[in-house]
Amino acid sequence: MLPSMLKMGAVIPGLVLLLGLTSCGITIPQDPEGTLEKVSGGILRVGVSENEQWVQLPPTGDPQGIEPGLVEKFADTLDATIEWVPGAEHELASDLFHGELDMAIGGFGADTPWVKEAGITRPYTETTDERGKPIKHVMLVPLGENAFLLELDQFLQAQEVEL
Amino acid sequence: MSTTGEKNTARFGHTELPEEQQQALRKAIKWEWITIIFLAVSTFLVYLVLGNSQAMKAAWIEDLLSFLPPISFLVATRVIRRRPSESHPYGYHRAVGVAHLVAAVALVVMGAYLIVDSGIGLVTAEHPTIGGVTLFGSTFWLGWLMVLAMLLTAGPPVVLGIIKMKLARTLHDKVLYADADMNKADWMTALSAAVGVLGIGVGLWWADSVAALLISTSILHDGLKNLRGAIGGLTDTRARTYDDSEPDPVGDRIDSYLRSLGWVREARSRVRDEGHVFHVESFVVPRTWPRATLRRIEKARDACVDMDWKVQDMVIVPVAELPEEFLPGMTRGGSEYR
Repeated sequence: MLPSMLKMGAVIPGLVLLLGLTSCGITIPQDPEGTLEKVSGGILRVGVSENEQWVQLPPTGDPQGIEPGLVEKFADTLDATIEWVPGAEHELASDLFHGELDMAIGGFGADTPWVKEAGITRPYTETTDERGKPIKHVMLVPLGENAFLLELDQFLQAQEVEL
Repeated sequence: MSTTGEKNTARFGHTELPEEQQQALRKAIKWEWITIIFLAVSTFLVYLVLGNSQAMKAAWIEDLLSFLPPISFLVATRVIRRRPSESHPYGYHRAVGVAHLVAAVALVVMGAYLIVDSGIGLVTAEHPTIGGVTLFGSTFWLGWLMVLAMLLTAGPPVVLGIIKMKLARTLHDKVLYADADMNKADWMTALSAAVGVLGIGVGLWWADSVAALLISTSILHDGLKNLRGAIGGLTDTRARTYDDSEPDPVGDRIDSYLRSLGWVREARSRVRDEGHVFHVESFVVPRTWPRATLRRIEKARDACVDMDWKVQDMVIVPVAELPEEFLPGMTRGGSEYR
């Protein structure tokens, strides 16, 4: 084992500090970049990528479909105004990574390749594609913004999604 | 997990174990099985809540690696029971050394890999994402489950380690010792991982990678320590105690016993560790050649073998003078002995 002194030296004060912080009323988890705080009562920047019944982008007006509907309800719970940002999946993933979006929708599956650029929610519903392969549907959020992610997870898990 | 063949465990090769060691061996086998069952449960539990935490991943891989020493021990204790044969005149004791080496290499490789992996996470400022988990209809932060899993798996290995440490001493078994040593320190791994996850919880994205680095450094440290010990054993270093802390005192005891015999003028031994038991070669210079009768040599050998159960494979070689080339650093003119 490591020289125990070094390790104990790191672990014990760490635990004490964290326990201290939690007992001071800091909620866990927190967002390193403060996303949840910023969007509450403010602007929720949502990336949208067209995908069948999940996200439809009419020539004029707001996006339609299952996921925009869910996002609107979610924004209401936070008292947030939505700013829709259309784009291809890879553009949305890159925007999320650079902190230019707060979330992205587009009928993403849990096996999305964008896990290096974005965090994913828990699957909130499941469908099967035309080859019979199950798809667990998720939304994308910025990496490591765990308070915001948990808020969205809690919202999505409580929804009955009609397909 | 049957202990079939318990009757056969009474010996290591052609070394018959005294009652105390037989009991210790039976207990060690039992506790290693208990360790494996505990590890199976805890690795599964931790796997379920693994998530995106680097520290949890490191702790989990350490759990997986912890399977190696008990498995090595159980395999080795089966192999070394075989009697020496024409093709293996020294018996199969080295199986313990091989098991030790395998476990040590795995630790080194994994420790180094994890250091690089967590180091990259830290340098590229990867923000670990841990979201919600839905259990029994409510959605809460997965991090709490991770911390709970870590706290649940922190305690038992410490107890296992303490029990096995005693048995390792009785059995002079370095694989068992390495295993016990790792178990004893396991709580630090678990707590580091818990701190890393809680660190993410309070918004410190780097806490997780730092905890992972600590854990992997300790895995690497374990590995290097055991690698040194295992290679030492396989390259015939002077026999040391079960924890490698000092030369085993049995060599000195044999020498002073032989020197105390009336017909012996000088005596010196070299001792190497074959795994559990020792190979001892004692060179004896008789006062006068006629006094070195076969009967006396045989009697002296029996007395040495009775001194310690580890001494069985022993030869006494009567010589005209101590052969310096076989006893490096030991013969200073030979005049210091009566």
